Order: sequence, then structure tokens, then C-alpha cells
Amino acid sequence: MKFKGVTLNARTAVYLCLAVAFLIPLGMDPDGYLLRIVSMVVLFAAMAQAWNIVGGLANQLSLGHAAFFGLGAYTSTLLFIRQGISPWAGMLAGGVVAAVAMLLLSIPLFRLRGHYFALATLAFAEVLKIIAIHFADLTEGPTGITIPYGEPSFANFQFESNTSYYVVIVALFAVVSLIFWKLSTGAMGFRLRAIRENEQAAEVSGIDTYRIKLGTSMVSAFTMGMCGTVYAQFTYFFDPESIFSMTGISVRVALICIIGGMGRLWGPLIGACILIPLDEIAVNTMSDVAGLGPFVTSVILIAAIIYEPRGLISAWERLRRRAQKKHAAQSGQAAGAV
Amino acid sequence: MKTDLSKELIGITGEFKGHVPLLEVSGISVTFGGLHALSDVSFTVEPNEIIGIIGPNGAGKTTLFNSLVGLQKLSSGHVNFDGKRISGHKPHSIAAAGMTKTFQNSALFPGMSVLDNVITAALLRNPLKTARQESEKVLKKLGLYEVKDTDVADLTFPQKALTELARGLASGPRLLLLDEVMAALSPSEMDDVIGVIKEIRKSMSVSFLVVEHHMRAIMALCDRLIVLNFGKKLAEGTPQEIAKNPQVVEAYLGSSASVLGGEHAA
Repeated sequence: MKFKGVTLNARTAVYLCLAVAFLIPLGMDPDGYLLRIVSMVVLFAAMAQAWNIVGGLANQLSLGHAAFFGLGAYTSTLLFIRQGISPWAGMLAGGVVAAVAMLLLSIPLFRLRGHYFALATLAFAEVLKIIAIHFADLTEGPTGITIPYGEPSFANFQFESNTSYYVVIVALFAVVSLIFWKLSTGAMGFRLRAIRENEQAAEVSGIDTYRIKLGTSMVSAFTMGMCGTVYAQFTYFFDPESIFSMTGISVRVALICIIGGMGRLWGPLIGACILIPLDEIAVNTMSDVAGLGPFVTSVILIAAIIYEPRGLISAWERLRRRAQKKHAAQSGQAAGAV
Repeated sequence: MKTDLSKELIGITGEFKGHVPLLEVSGISVTFGGLHALSDVSFTVEPNEIIGIIGPNGAGKTTLFNSLVGLQKLSSGHVNFDGKRISGHKPHSIAAAGMTKTFQNSALFPGMSVLDNVITAALLRNPLKTARQESEKVLKKLGLYEVKDTDVADLTFPQKALTELARGLASGPRLLLLDEVMAALSPSEMDDVIGVIKEIRKSMSVSFLVVEHHMRAIMALCDRLIVLNFGKKLAEGTPQEIAKNPQVVEAYLGSSASVLGGEHAA
């Protein structure tokens, strides 16, 4: 009874701390550097969560999620600039475009497994980058798109204060995380875990593995497309190189997830809290020596993957279990002494 | 040749009477490159039957199972289940039709508990809540309820085999294919499982196709046996008939024929 009460309180305390942590940035200087970094951390956590839906739940390692991110950004931005359609509607349109792209891509790709799927998705994002560079009539080409700064309004998805962007980004993270949570619990959670552990056995047990993988991937692409819109509105500028970037987006979101904990609800947030500030520090302090920053982050990443392949969240859980065991042993000793 | 023709005639007259076997395998062949893993195999399974598939290693037993549940494409022939063509369908829709199999080397979902493994299959015909209840029922029946929360990776070999059986049953099949579930069991554990399978046939009216190397288990369990050799059906009959069949003795049982006869007598 008491034990149960203690763990319940501990869990509530963690969630309370988390809620407070999300509130703190509201008090930060709206034009400050810190709020911008915090916003980036949460935005990348949302993107990694979108990746987590396909990579962590359906076990399809995509190294081309920049494709869906870029499709989302281009769709909403072009609709806004050319047609005057609100980026909020554009965000949904971008999600649909991304999901349809995933559908078309999946028909041939689901025949591939493991590394081949990863390589094929990587190639897809690179192809989109080249298309965006060369079809300049549609995309403005390599110079990229600057979103015209109009009257700040909710409908235009433009805000006076960066604090408002932060709130939108947190809401985005909450929505993507809710979708992830819905998929990972309940009947669908059982099916996805079964597919991840043994696809053949899952199929023979009556699970339509193809349809479930396809559906999950499309949801992942849809949410990644939404993230693309928010990113575009937040930064006011993007070009094919940055939005379809392999290292900047595709590999980065995968790594955030892997470091934090793949297939785990809080994995992306933990990973983003570590990787994004790390990248930032590397860029700011080690840019004198070419390549030193990426080198240092790469070393840390490799170390993390070697020593904690299941993510930092599982390292944390192990520590907690050990502490609980120690606590139990100590109280057992105390009881023995009495 | 003659026997095949008479079998066909029986099949045809059977159809005239409106009789549809639960499973009807008609002349299926599977070829890997130039190798005939299965050639022209035909047989039927009736409701509530337990049929053993025996044959030396490489005779095509596992290939036969994989072709029946849709994991292996047929080169020719077809399979009907409950009167409907299922060959060419995907494994999940064959499972939904009512036929599934267990895996030779435990293919349980690691990192999931015994109960969660079974629930996953029970979800085929139930929403989550009733799937849980159904799964617990199956686990009780198989004596696995005490280990229901154990990660399947931590189970003993016999427990793994039983969990495979439980997962197979939880999907609500009318025909369950058991691929060497008793391989790792001691004789007394084997007797328990044989009892459980017979009880399940009675209470849940499930038919079984059984691949097993333990002759004792096969003899005690099966109503009929089908003998495969080099991918061909060599013989079919009651365990007693098969034990006496000189062709089978020569091709498969060899010197162990006496063991088989002795055990059966005991």
C-alpha cells in the first residue's frame, strides 16, 4: 500500500517538474538567445517524436525524414505566398502531401528491410533536394524562400513575440507525442510491438503487418510535415540545402531518438535536450578549428550508442531500479535490526 | 496411381453429398530453384482430427506448414480451407480464416510477457479487454498462469513451447499447425501436453496438424499419419497401419521400426 503510494507520488512529482520546466521559458526574454535554443530543443523533440512513430514503433529506420519535413515546409509556405492560404491550413495540406509521398514511397520500399530501407529513404530526401533546387519556378530554387513578414496575426501564423512561437512549438510536441502515445498503447501497441519483435510470427498470428506499417509510416510522415510548417514559420527562411538536409534534419532526428530511447515516449525529448545544446556549444566554441565541433559531437554520439544502445531513458531506469533495490535492502536490514 | 484415382473418386463423391473437409490440400508443389521441396502433395483434414506429419529431415514438413499458412508461395496446386480457396492469401488473412501455426524454434515476441504474447494473437477476434480475459483462460488451461508476467526470454524450453501453443490457440483457430512443440520436453511433460491437446480438441473443437520427431508422442496423439519423403507423400493411414507399412519402414523408420512397434504395443 505504502510502496504504491510512494511510487505514485514520485511519478506525479516527475510530471509536475516537467510541467514547470515547460512553463519556465514563458518567463524568459522573448528576444533572447536562450528562448530560441529552448524552442529549437522542443521543436526537434517534436520532429524526433514524429520519427519515433515509424522508427521506434514500426521499426522502419528512416534516414530520409527531411523529405517529409521539407514537403511540409514547401507546401504550406508556397500556399501562403502564392495563394494567401493560412499556414494553419497549409500545415494540414503539408501533412497530407507528406503522407501521400510516404504512401507512394512505401509501395516499393516495404519490400526492403533494415539498411536498405534506410538507404532508400535517404536517397528520396536527396532527390527531393535536387528537385527543389532545379524547379526554381515553383520553389524559388537554391536561393530559398523568405516568408514575407506581414501583419502579425494568428491566421497568418506570425507572432510579435517569440514566446508565442514557443507555445505553438510546445503544442506541436504535445500533439505529436499524444499520437505516439495513442499508437503505442492499447491494441495497436501490442500489434506494433509484435511486428517489431518478429514480423513473420506477427503475420501468422493474424496481424496485417503491411497495412499497419504503412499506416504508421504515413502518420509519421504527416506529423513530420506539420513540423516542417512550424519550422518554416519560426525561422522565416529556408532553402533546399537546409530543409532537406541529411545531417541537419534526417540523421539528426534519428540520432536524437536513438540517444534518448527509441520507441519510448520521453526518448525524443531527452535526446533533444542533450543533442541540440551540444551542437550549439560545438558551433559556438569550436568553430575555429574546422570540423572540431562535429568531431566532438560524433565522439559523444558513438560513446552513447556503444554504452547505452537502448537510450538514456533506459540508463535512467536502471539507475532508479538500483536505487530502489538499495533502498529496499536498507529498510530490510533496519527491520532485521529491530 | 490407382490409389490416387480412387482417392479422387472418394473426394468427388464426398462433394456430391455436400461434404466439405476443413482443409483440402490438392496437389501442391513447392520448388526452390531446381529442388522439389514438395511435389504433388494432397490430403484432407476433417474437423476435430489430429493428424501427424512424419518423415526424415528434409522431407518437406516445415515447407508444407509454411505453404499452408501462406508463408511460402506454391509453385502449383491449391489449398482450400472450409471450402474456400486460401492458397495465395497472406498469412494474416489465413489466420483470420482460422488456420495458424506455431514455430519450430520459438518465435515468441521477446521483451514481452507471456500474457502480452498471447494477447497479441487474441486481438485477432477480440477487443483488448476480452482479449486479456481469453488469454488468461488459455494460460490457465496450459498451466502457464503462474508465469504470465514473465518475459518470454526468461522462460524454460518447455514453457516456451507451451507459450507458442497458447499464442496459437489464442487467435481462435479451427486448425492449428504444431511444428515440433514437444521437441524440448521430457517424457512426462510430453504426456501432459498430449493430454492438453486432446482436451483442447474436445472443448474448443480445434483440429491439429502435428509435426513431431518423438514417435511416442505421435503415436499417442494422432488419429491419422501422413508420411513425407523427399517432398512426396509416401503413405497415409492410422498409426497402426503406418507402423506396419513396409515402404515406410524402409524409407524412414529403418532399424527403429522395432522401437516404434514396441512403444506402440506398450
